[in-house]
Amino acid sequence: MIAFLIRRIIQAVIVVLLVLLGLFLLTHVIPGGAARAALGPRATKAQIRQFNVTNNYYKGIFVQFYLYLKTLVWHHNLGYSYKMNQDVTTVIAQRLPKTLVLVGISTVLALIIAVPLGILQVVRRNKPIDHILTGLTFVGYGMPSFLLGTLLILYFAIDIHIFSVEAPQGQTVGAILGDPRGLVLPEFTLAAITIASFSRYMRSSMMEAMTEDYVRTARAKGASPRRVLFRHALRNAIIPIVTLLGLSIPAIVSGAVITETVFNFPGMGLLTYEAATNTDVPLLLGTALVATLATVIGSLLADILYAIVDPRIRYAK
Amino acid sequence: MRRTRAMLTVAAVMAAAALLLAACSSSPSTPSASGTAKGTTVPTGGTPQTGGTATWAELPGTAPNFIFPFDPPGLFSVSNISQFQYLMYRPLYWFGQGTTPDLNLSLSVGKNPVYSSDSKTITIDLNNYVWSNGETVTAQDVVFWMNMMHAEKNSFGAYVPGINAIPDDVTNVVATSPTEVTFTLSGAVNTNWYTYNNLSQVTPMPKAWDITAKGAAAGSGGCFSGAYGTAATDAACTKVFDFLATSAGYDPSNPKAANNSFSTYATNPIWQVVDGPWHLTSFDATGNITMAPNPTYTGPVKPKLTKFIEAPFTDEPTEYNALLGGKLQVGYLPLANVTKATPNPNVVAAQDPRLSGFYLNEYYGWEFAYFPVNLNSAGNGGAAGKIISQLYFRQAMQTLVDQPAIISKVFKGYGAPEYGPVPVLPVTNFLSSGEKTNPYPYSLSNAEKLLSSHGWKINAGGTDTCTDPGTGANQCGAGIPKGTPLTFNLQFATGITTQTEAVNDEISSWEAAGIHINETTSTFDTVIGNATACTPGPSCTWEFEDWAGSWVYSPDIYPTGEELFATGAVANYGSYSNPQADNFIKQTDFTNASLANYENLMAKDVPVIYLPDQVQSLTETQNNLRGVVPQNPLSTITPENWYFVK
Repeated sequence: MIAFLIRRIIQAVIVVLLVLLGLFLLTHVIPGGAARAALGPRATKAQIRQFNVTNNYYKGIFVQFYLYLKTLVWHHNLGYSYKMNQDVTTVIAQRLPKTLVLVGISTVLALIIAVPLGILQVVRRNKPIDHILTGLTFVGYGMPSFLLGTLLILYFAIDIHIFSVEAPQGQTVGAILGDPRGLVLPEFTLAAITIASFSRYMRSSMMEAMTEDYVRTARAKGASPRRVLFRHALRNAIIPIVTLLGLSIPAIVSGAVITETVFNFPGMGLLTYEAATNTDVPLLLGTALVATLATVIGSLLADILYAIVDPRIRYAK
Repeated sequence: MRRTRAMLTVAAVMAAAALLLAACSSSPSTPSASGTAKGTTVPTGGTPQTGGTATWAELPGTAPNFIFPFDPPGLFSVSNISQFQYLMYRPLYWFGQGTTPDLNLSLSVGKNPVYSSDSKTITIDLNNYVWSNGETVTAQDVVFWMNMMHAEKNSFGAYVPGINAIPDDVTNVVATSPTEVTFTLSGAVNTNWYTYNNLSQVTPMPKAWDITAKGAAAGSGGCFSGAYGTAATDAACTKVFDFLATSAGYDPSNPKAANNSFSTYATNPIWQVVDGPWHLTSFDATGNITMAPNPTYTGPVKPKLTKFIEAPFTDEPTEYNALLGGKLQVGYLPLANVTKATPNPNVVAAQDPRLSGFYLNEYYGWEFAYFPVNLNSAGNGGAAGKIISQLYFRQAMQTLVDQPAIISKVFKGYGAPEYGPVPVLPVTNFLSSGEKTNPYPYSLSNAEKLLSSHGWKINAGGTDTCTDPGTGANQCGAGIPKGTPLTFNLQFATGITTQTEAVNDEISSWEAAGIHINETTSTFDTVIGNATACTPGPSCTWEFEDWAGSWVYSPDIYPTGEELFATGAVANYGSYSNPQADNFIKQTDFTNASLANYENLMAKDVPVIYLPDQVQSLTETQNNLRGVVPQNPLSTITPENWYFVK
């Protein structure tokens, strides 16, 4: 297991470096250059020159990349966003917890609802409730989040004033959690789509498990239907969901651009979008680094959890 | 099979959503069946109330992010200056009189500047303003700003080198008394130009800011009282600037340095020394700002609200939802949500029926829309710049911009045509006779005639070609070989739907006359980044760059051309050069010549392609809130004028 972990961590570091290098190269071939984008239309040639010197833009691309990595590793500094007048580390430190709360809660919510829903569908397979839930999950699956979010706002916030038109605007996790009226609609919007996806996985996984030999054996040995379902089938059927959860971590960390936009919630998703559209190179690299780290950590976690929940897997070998 | 099924599901959901939307829009709050007229007139009357909170909507992506009123390039923005800093730190001169950008002496710290007969000396007396720490706003506070400007002009976003403007032309600034400051200039100036474009940049700064470390004694920095223009003062001012800029989050010497200054904006004692009507009580990095009245404010209009809030939004629909949901007292109606087009750009035609608690007011900024064309471009086999340099070609291009059609169809009537560098709306005395009417009204036949009479074979809907090369009056022009196709690359910025629609309309008109356009899209920053002045050569290839923006006359309010159309000017991206224009521009800057000659020439010479300007904002104000209109055309907000009525 330890050898496996070491191997995976080395792989992860290489992946992160390659992604960063790729992105670094891409952002540096953007036409127009970062100076004009940062300094505005009245920027003089002298100011542009000064900007490029200060930010090492006159140096070779690989020298710039080396300097970027050096600052990152030794000073834990991701650079400065001219657009936001903030250093990138600070901006991400402000946005990341907010997104973790928003998307994290919705993922947990989705899991709590989707797993029983999937099981229920298998238990009531081909019965009306299964068909209804299948239909509903297809609707949820096909529903664009901007549409669902807008409809929810129009009805619940604007027409009947039960919930807030926007997500909590507080800057701290406490402030966000302290505004449940603001949290309901964005959480529901995010969760609805995830529930649809998770419950479909759960249903098909359970269906498959129920046809396995060990389930038939358990039944033949006189195990109760409840025991067969929860002790034998569920433990195996949950494995793909564990993988799915691990792979959801990048989304939890990177944020949900559309939902964040609809609910006026400046989280990581919106930050990445703004960085890309504003040609804010340091910010773009910073958000990409966070997303890449989340992806490699997520897939690593998925593998580890997989090994834990499935005793057949022995990575140590 | 799966794809088809998924698509059907989406279609079903869309249909259901449409039904639900229809149901939602017929909510009980709908005031009338017609849904027109109500809420479109500015309410008057009512008993003024003291107190209350007004929340104002920031435009998407424009959250203020710099508090120190000496804004570096990149942080020099309307949202930082006019909608944030001015509320706390009053400029020497205030511009905006009703809906015009005129000098407003009643709101200025300085009294009317008195120019000597040779206009080389300016004497400015100050009105009675005090800082919130009890000190009076003095002439030395003006000198302090000028000292910093002299030392750190390259760090100031509005500084333009090479035009002999502030501070390059200022030989001395002295406080001749606590309430009088005298500027000595190196040469004669146009007094309007100097007041509107140079003195407009000055913001007096308190002695408390003359420090280089936290807790240092006021004035210890040596910039406040130093003699103007000396090396010692410059050195001291650089240190003070570095400290203040860093305290505001911008580290000029080390832009990679970590900072979290935003969290200290509302608590740092430096920024709490204000002479404006408001002081900051909270600020966050996403743009949530709260201000409270400054109890020591001595200006003419004291705040009546208890609290003023600026709220950020991710995009227009989000702001619109907040408006509908009752979160805002002052917001804006996105053009996409305008229910009825207006026949008169200065009169709103109808209100969204769901916003019956608000009234609508149109607001035109002091700006003009255009896109640059590159007269030096080496595109099209080296011929692009040669073609663009021909006046007849630029005239043809301009003739094919159907401004009335774009305004009525795309902007729903809320827009104004632009025939030159001075905006048609808001109505001002700056507009010359030559810019009041369109010198190149839309006409496909006139455009074709201009091209065919200069050696081009018209291929309507296709691509015209030069059939008669040469430099004669009826020929294509110098450097344009026979067979050259009339084809150009236009890059435009996406993101604003109306602007994209307008560009498509223009392209269709140009192509109808055989001017073939290869269009590409990109972000605003990329487009404006590409539109850089370049000398003729293989790397100078851009032809048309349209960033869907305008030239805003702020803080250079006098609409002259030294930054735009003078040879080598900082924003003369297309490298337009005309000695006559240079001469007219110089006259408007350094003699008391009127703007008319310059304006008329710019309208006729088409140095850029002028585009219709869409309304900057359709402001929605809660019916019981007074004082919001008329709106300042420089986007300055004055919540001290606002009050609720019963």
